[in-house]
Amino acid sequence: MLRLTGNSYTNCDGVTRRNFLQIGAPLLGLGLCDLLRFESRAAVTNQPVGGKSIIVFWTHGGMSQQDTYDMKPAAPAEYRGMYLPIATNVPGIVVGERFSLQAKVMNHLSLVRSVHHENGIHAPSAHWMQTGHFGPTLARIQQQNPSFGSVISRSLGPRQSQIPAYVAVPKAEAFGYQRAHYLGKAYNPFEVGADPNKKDFHVPNLSLPGDLKLTSVNSRRKLLAKFDTIRRDIDSSGVMEGLDVFKAQALEMVAGDQVRDAFDISSEDPVLRDKYGRHQYGQSALLARRLVQAGTRCVTVNTGYWDHHNEIEKGLEEHLPPLDRAIWALVEDLEQRGMLDNVVIYCAGEFGRTPRINGHAGRDHWSDCFTVMLAGGGIQGGRIVGASEKFGGGVRERLTTPLDVLATIYQALGISLDTHYDDSTGRPVNIVDGGKPIRELF
Amino acid sequence: MLTQRLGYTLLAIATGWSAVATASEEGPIYFASDVVPILTKLGCNSGACHGKATGQNGFKLSLLGFEPELDFRAIAHEARGRRLSPAFPDQSLLLMKATARTPHGGGRRLERDSEDYRMLRNWITNGVAPPRASDPQIIRIDLAPNELVLTPGSNQQLHVTAHFSNGVSRDVTRQAVYESNEPNIAEVGQNGLIETNEQTGLFAVMVRFGGKVATFHAAVPQTGDEKQQTLVLSQLEQLERELDSSFDQLLFQQWKRLVIAPSATADDATFVRRATIDICGTLPTRQEVEAYVADTGTDKRARLIDRLLEKPEYASYFALKWAEILQNRGSGYSTSKQRPGTTLFARWIRDSIAANKPYDQFVSEIITASGSQNENPPTIWYRQVRTQQNYVESVAQAFLGVRVQCAQCHHHPFERWSQADYYGLSAVFSRVGRKGGFADAEVPTNEIIYVKDAAVVFHPRSGHVMAPKALGGPQLKLNRYDDPRHSFSQWMTAVDNPFFARTMANRMWAHFHGRGIIHPIDDARSTNPPTNPDLLDALAKDFSENGYDVKRLIRVICASYSYGLEAAPNDRNRDDHQTFARFYPRRLSAEVLLDGISQVLEVPTPFAGGGGTFPTGTRAIELPDENVASGFLDVFGRPPRTSACECERSDAPGLSQALTLINSKEIQRKLTAKNGYAAQLASNKRSTVENSKDIFLRFFGRLPSRQESDTAVSFVESEDDAASAYRSLLWSLLATNEFMFNH
Repeated sequence: MLRLTGNSYTNCDGVTRRNFLQIGAPLLGLGLCDLLRFESRAAVTNQPVGGKSIIVFWTHGGMSQQDTYDMKPAAPAEYRGMYLPIATNVPGIVVGERFSLQAKVMNHLSLVRSVHHENGIHAPSAHWMQTGHFGPTLARIQQQNPSFGSVISRSLGPRQSQIPAYVAVPKAEAFGYQRAHYLGKAYNPFEVGADPNKKDFHVPNLSLPGDLKLTSVNSRRKLLAKFDTIRRDIDSSGVMEGLDVFKAQALEMVAGDQVRDAFDISSEDPVLRDKYGRHQYGQSALLARRLVQAGTRCVTVNTGYWDHHNEIEKGLEEHLPPLDRAIWALVEDLEQRGMLDNVVIYCAGEFGRTPRINGHAGRDHWSDCFTVMLAGGGIQGGRIVGASEKFGGGVRERLTTPLDVLATIYQALGISLDTHYDDSTGRPVNIVDGGKPIRELF
Repeated sequence: MLTQRLGYTLLAIATGWSAVATASEEGPIYFASDVVPILTKLGCNSGACHGKATGQNGFKLSLLGFEPELDFRAIAHEARGRRLSPAFPDQSLLLMKATARTPHGGGRRLERDSEDYRMLRNWITNGVAPPRASDPQIIRIDLAPNELVLTPGSNQQLHVTAHFSNGVSRDVTRQAVYESNEPNIAEVGQNGLIETNEQTGLFAVMVRFGGKVATFHAAVPQTGDEKQQTLVLSQLEQLERELDSSFDQLLFQQWKRLVIAPSATADDATFVRRATIDICGTLPTRQEVEAYVADTGTDKRARLIDRLLEKPEYASYFALKWAEILQNRGSGYSTSKQRPGTTLFARWIRDSIAANKPYDQFVSEIITASGSQNENPPTIWYRQVRTQQNYVESVAQAFLGVRVQCAQCHHHPFERWSQADYYGLSAVFSRVGRKGGFADAEVPTNEIIYVKDAAVVFHPRSGHVMAPKALGGPQLKLNRYDDPRHSFSQWMTAVDNPFFARTMANRMWAHFHGRGIIHPIDDARSTNPPTNPDLLDALAKDFSENGYDVKRLIRVICASYSYGLEAAPNDRNRDDHQTFARFYPRRLSAEVLLDGISQVLEVPTPFAGGGGTFPTGTRAIELPDENVASGFLDVFGRPPRTSACECERSDAPGLSQALTLINSKEIQRKLTAKNGYAAQLASNKRSTVENSKDIFLRFFGRLPSRQESDTAVSFVESEDDAASAYRSLLWSLLATNEFMFNH
């Protein structure tokens, strides 16, 4: 096959699975063992209906690792910051005092304290962490690789066909790098477009414009069925067929119950809503759980801007408690529903922040060594991977790259690390391109 | 010269074609021509495995084996020599991994009792001979057969012969690698056996061996009982007798070859809508449709095309297309200061098109542009196109119709382009200098483009200074005061240039037919052959010999037999997606769709952004750049203008498109506007039947069927609120594929 423009899933073997079956094993000179190997690998990649999902807390702007997941209590004051370390329910693991709720579920959370990349500017760094690749610079700002959410969406699809596979709450962030790029627009995140903590929360992208009534939509739907009768065999490109599918799906989303129900956070028990916290973090996390339950594969919560160059204490006081509560409540909620083993939780941003507090009582951009949190979905909890230097700064142990983190996530979700997608020039690009899953977490 | 290689035995081929030798185990084994092809065949050096730029698990080979010296070093020297073990060859890591006797991410690629295994093993046992300059080089590979007519569901074995510099030729059928460009029509096994499927049409098989490529071409005609076949052919001949265009004869030639029956000729209403959309990016009005249908002249099609080409919408619509190819981009990292520049360039493009500036002049003025944007707007091309990589790739893709990106880092895997070609072309632009300008974070604006006294480009591997060279052409003759861009431009726009006119002819054919004769349009390769080479040559010749007259080219294409066909397939062309035996429908592009909705509902779209608002009534096809906020245009595939590839414009369907149609505020606003079409319908005194007739003519360019009219009338009359009823009716027509497609 000459695949120079299309995107297709290929194994390392360079043949698509479908093609393999078409060509047949004997022609490829493969034996039965090869066929079985192929089948078994296919079984790993072609998830049965169900499978796992992921909820991401994206700390847009860069969260300070040294005030949260990677405390340096023995460091001088200008490094260690204002917070005290507290013990967690895992002996030996200490976090910042504003993470007192997560401390109670630390046995489910693991921290990778040695993530490292080599850029200190928001946009290129966000691209690096979102896609695993350094790419854009300030002079060339466009996205160059697909985001991990889009890769997940493309590789696994939704668990339930009516629901979007990839959702961003309240909207896509990370300087635009949460999109699909060459994977195709269909794998961009569906943006909710509103704050789930708002009293009259509704999804603008699903709601009808003010004066349009549901009954009108239903008559429109009936009329469309009567008039949309042009012969379908005039188009063999698949575009018409695809539009038909999406028109039906969109009408169902707007006028049907299933998707509206998933977004209807008001139907949750108020006690549980209080537990998540009546703030954007908490209600976004709760919405994420509802969506995942309904079949969404990847929900990214983009809540808050963490770029605390000045007066970091003020900023952290605002952001840490709600984030802490949201993650804690989510972990407990998923566990109680028996879903924790099927949902990966990931908390990261484009980088961390400087170990030493600057002249404005803030911390600046720091990508040399920072922390990400992973939990659930079969990832082992209560573990610490890697370590930073004595006062923070550099990686002391086990340098971990953004691609290693993504490989870990893909492995947890059951996406074959051999998966390739063709870029716009037709070159097959591996989704992890050399990154290795963090084996300590499995 | 066969005796020079004692190891070769003659292989008598039953079919009797020329006797060639086959490799046996005793002869010398050459790394480049014996070992590397095995690695290629097994997929070891593919772009998905060890051939990718980062290698795989520490083992990196050159992509598809174009660099045997590097491969030898990787295999024989790296990894502390563990990959080869001459004393215990079977224990060599290379063989252990390939046979999966030790865990191998790529699985088992090689059987222990295979000939390939023995070849690799013998090469190891015999002392691991490195590639040497004195080794016989592969000169070319030949295919037998290389062109055929095949029947569906049949087999054809290819035979591949490699010719070496020492005069030896040998059969490499088993070692070569095969790929079909149309797997639905024919597949090819890795033993060179082609199997055709039930689908008919044209296909090519690319064959690679040792860095050389050859292509097998075949046609699989439609089958049927003899009577039917004869009938189709006689009908084709009868139609052909009425033709007076030599271009149409070339279409028929291909249909006869494949025994394809073209669809019926489209009716007038369909044709006027189609041509108005394709030439003007605009829907025809009811009056235009009715006038065209009522016209009884025999030359009405030609007059319609002429009339459309004189409309300002023609210039706007094609200016939009060229602004994308020329990357007239408005977006930046922070606030945009690009609008004055993009506006100047957009106007220059539109004025050039309106004036029907000869295409060679249009392109030359762009690539040789110097000065400031105010005195010479085409210099703005250099604002987005500003690196060695941009120069080469944009020029190659936009004007020469080839993709040379691959050759930046390695020899193009399927083509003749080498790094020397890439950097030779790059050298044409090495002296482009820039000064002044305001630098915002993305790209400077308002730069002065000038030619520097000296600047050079180096070959990235050899380090040699590259002389400016036309792509696949001669080195440009220059003295030190010449601007190499002028010499290059003269080479490119010469009447006998092999790329220039063909690329434009193909681009325009694709614009009107939904698919290029070469497809994708900017990927001409011997391994991606045109589906009708004679037609493409004829169009290109007519174009270049008539002063690169673009309007003439459009007239020729719009007058073609194929452009006038119905989209509906018949039993004899259902599978056709190559020979234009029917019209291939496509979704209206983002801008045309939005403008079309504004037009039929009589409510213009407001456009704001980039530091200004546009006058009411500005159409999407008239916007100077893409940095004008519009959710509608984005979800329907407006391109970001970051490359010269028309493929940036996407017609891929998506959920967000459907949601936008259903519940966007903008469409609801247009439906509910006070003076809009829906309100007019609810308040006018005409009958519902009259109104539904007007609606259908306006939306679809045709009258409603009896049933459609009844449905519309009974719906409107059964509703209490006429305005709301009309809104629902109009919406349901906007969302039909008949409205959303050009068909």
